[in-house]
Amino acid sequence: MKNAFSRTLRSLHPWPKVPGGPYWSACHFCDTLHEATALPEGVAARCRCCGAVLYQNRPASLVRVTAFSLAALILMVVVNLFPFLTMDAAGIRTTLNLVSAAKTLVDQGSPLLGFALVLFTLVTPLALASGLIYVCGPLLFGRVAPGAFVVAKWLNQTEPWNMIEVFLLGVLVSLLKLNKLADVHFGIGFWAFAVVMVCMAGAISGIDRDEMWDRLEVAKS
Amino acid sequence: MSVSHQRAAAVGLAGCHTCGKVSPLSLGRCPRCGSRLHLRKSRSVERTVAFMLAATALYIPANVLPMMTMVELGESTSNTITGGIAYFWKGGAYPIALVILTASILIPLLKMVALTWLCLAATGKLHPSPGLLGKIYWVTELMGRWSMVDIFVVGILVALVQVGNYMTVTPGLGALAFAGVVVLTMFAAMSFDPRLLWDRLEALQNDPATSNHVDP
Repeated sequence: MKNAFSRTLRSLHPWPKVPGGPYWSACHFCDTLHEATALPEGVAARCRCCGAVLYQNRPASLVRVTAFSLAALILMVVVNLFPFLTMDAAGIRTTLNLVSAAKTLVDQGSPLLGFALVLFTLVTPLALASGLIYVCGPLLFGRVAPGAFVVAKWLNQTEPWNMIEVFLLGVLVSLLKLNKLADVHFGIGFWAFAVVMVCMAGAISGIDRDEMWDRLEVAKS
Repeated sequence: MSVSHQRAAAVGLAGCHTCGKVSPLSLGRCPRCGSRLHLRKSRSVERTVAFMLAATALYIPANVLPMMTMVELGESTSNTITGGIAYFWKGGAYPIALVILTASILIPLLKMVALTWLCLAATGKLHPSPGLLGKIYWVTELMGRWSMVDIFVVGILVALVQVGNYMTVTPGLGALAFAGVVVLTMFAAMSFDPRLLWDRLEALQNDPATSNHVDP
């Protein structure tokens, strides 16, 4: 009991380092070698050769990532239950949500486009948010979930394919394209998706990659 | 800018591509996450060039073929990328025309130019100005996804505008080709390794004889 408590307490401490050291950090852009010293919260270390960010210590990182990812997951349910856009034209009302949009694309003979739409706006954000919860949630209690190392590896790969913000810009453009032809309104799904975008940005930028891996390594040892 | 600091590769250390831990290359695999250790991304320039050639090939049909066909009261109009921009520009919607122009034409083109420049510099055919080119690479990687916007517009319009005889929208082959361009250029940018530019600069400094291959 006491042990579990102290583990939890340790996870609230900023960025633990594995015992030992000194630790090194190599710049991703120019490969300059730096000694990776501990940083105060809210501070970023920059490369002394090219100025790129090496790593940064985010305040309350684990709590932030878990909370933002959970919020994004819950709102994803809302996004898929409520219509995204409603259009009134010629007395007929059509509603759109993400899954129905993809289905129409498949029916219209473009299965690849439908697949891309679902992949970039639904599957990737869901995988990212649930992956972050799976890795960072147990870390809050100082534990490593089974297979967390594999999940953490995949998180890096998925990140660039999360295109919620691009999709929302696309919604705005299509709205302007249609406003002469029909009456188009935003649905609850649209607003929920806009909040998902903010939550995903918060979750992804909530924790530094090096910090997540250091925490995983410390919790495992 | 010059290379004056100790670099990881010079002392046989490699930063893991996955988790960032710096460990000796001789280990073969990262002791923390188990990924294979490389000094540089493997076959970086070849991969980048391959993805870029494929993207360039697709770029032509993406611009020539219609992105979508709109049938309104029996009259059908096909929209190419440039046609879509012209539509907004004529209608006086300048900001939105500029957004599409940037996302669908400028970003893919600039990306191809930037990646070509980066590959030429990394193979020593142009001067490796890693300070400037590093920033260009960073921007290239960051902006690529925004080109997807036109694809999403097609998707939304096709899904939304299915009002029987009154108005329907069907996706065109151009949309598929353009989606291919965006995904391939994203892969091209991911395959490039900016550290190669610094390797070139270092080689130039250590051995000025090679510098006569390079523009001053």
